[in-house]
Amino acid sequence: MSCSIRLDGVTLDYFIYSVKAQSLRNAVFNLAVGGNLYKSQGDVTVVRALENVSLDMQEGDRLALVGHNGSGKTSLLKVIAGIYEPQKGLVEIKGKLTSMIAHGAGLDMEASGLQNIRKLGAMRMLSKKVIESRIDSIVEFSELGDFVRLPVKTYSSGMMARLMFACATEFEADILVLDEWLGAGDASFFQKASDRMQGFVDKAQMVVIGTHNFGLVERVCNKVIELSAGRVVFYGSTKDWAAWRNR
Amino acid sequence: MEALQAAFRDLIDGFRLAPLWLTLGWEQTAARFRRTVLGPFWLTANLLAMAFALSFIFGELFGNGNWRANFALIISGILCWSITGGFLADAANAFISAGDLMNTMRLPLTFHVLLMMYKNVINFLAQLIALWVVLLVLRLGAVPDISFIFGLAIVLINGVFLSIIVAMPATRFRDVYQSVAFAVQILFFLTPVFWAPAQMQGKRSIILTLNPFAHLLELIRQPLLGRTPLLVHWEWGIGLMVVLGATAITMLTLYRKRVVFWL
Repeated sequence: MSCSIRLDGVTLDYFIYSVKAQSLRNAVFNLAVGGNLYKSQGDVTVVRALENVSLDMQEGDRLALVGHNGSGKTSLLKVIAGIYEPQKGLVEIKGKLTSMIAHGAGLDMEASGLQNIRKLGAMRMLSKKVIESRIDSIVEFSELGDFVRLPVKTYSSGMMARLMFACATEFEADILVLDEWLGAGDASFFQKASDRMQGFVDKAQMVVIGTHNFGLVERVCNKVIELSAGRVVFYGSTKDWAAWRNR
Repeated sequence: MEALQAAFRDLIDGFRLAPLWLTLGWEQTAARFRRTVLGPFWLTANLLAMAFALSFIFGELFGNGNWRANFALIISGILCWSITGGFLADAANAFISAGDLMNTMRLPLTFHVLLMMYKNVINFLAQLIALWVVLLVLRLGAVPDISFIFGLAIVLINGVFLSIIVAMPATRFRDVYQSVAFAVQILFFLTPVFWAPAQMQGKRSIILTLNPFAHLLELIRQPLLGRTPLLVHWEWGIGLMVVLGATAITMLTLYRKRVVFWL
């Protein structure tokens, strides 16, 4: 199945509601004095998280999103994953998408590793048979051994990262959206994970990854977007990016 | 226009994801009773205790001094209320409690409402079995009327629409959840849950004729007691479906994109 990602002129605003703005009493009383006061007094702060972001990805592309903390990496990942719908601009995603954005997201802390593998599989609408057939390779790749029988709340963050990454890549998806949490794993896992992502080229799958790890960018990704304050300051191949950074 | 289409798509996609909310709803129900001794029977125990207490008190208050007289009416009333009005506090919390999931993967808003509703249906059906057992033992049971199925369908569809309508403002304004929880309590008394409609005479019977929850309640309680609901209850049930459905679609059209930012 062919897959592609196209974003055109995406602008995303966050509305931050203070306690005051979240109270109904405030909204009602302001309405009573004329309504438009609500806008000026409402205590709603608007933050522009992304401004006019455009990108284009084809099969086999591995895109890295880099930038300072708060530059808009996670916001852009969430737009690509379809969690946020931007106020302006076009988002066109073709293909089956798996997103693992927050660390530990979607895991049930009380349930065991095995139960979580089944749950994550079910979340992707896979049949029980398919899930069961993948469990062995997930356990093997994550190197969790007998820990898969223990509740996830006993795991270290590196172990959770291993479990999440193994599930994300074993349950076939065309597009994989990952954020920073991958860095919680140790060096040997990091090597394994980047090898696996490089293998995506052959299977015509795509990866979008938000990271601060330049080693990972250079080893795995062929395209880079550098964000600063919600704007794209660099968009191009990894080679050009390295040159651009050293200029 | 595009937003309206997206609102309908949200509803349809929510129903299409049935395999997912069926699995998750079951798992979360099981998880809720993990490490308890009674498990889901806690709900049954709760229902029985409430029904016996109310029958005991009101049997005396209403003059006949016999708790058996109204027991079947009261226990089925409490059970049916849980799915007609009692779930509303849950509904108001539907998006807030699904916040983690909403920030993890793309799912239609309707999905979260259906998941919440399904968990309530599981509880309802589990207690329904207990109810029949208890009524049989007490020799108060009746053969349910076939119209129960249609009544339940109308009640559930209304519940889904009403949940969407309540959950959206409750996510934006955190006072709404508190006021819904409070309103549910008042409605519990205003609706003939533990008193018979015939006991309400005179001017105050307006709270019967104009209370939508009273009509919805009768749509499932009457068949459970072996009777067919009156025509007026069906009219209200179907009329509500149209009104609530249109309201829910309008709200989805206007605010669907924003809900995730309200969390």
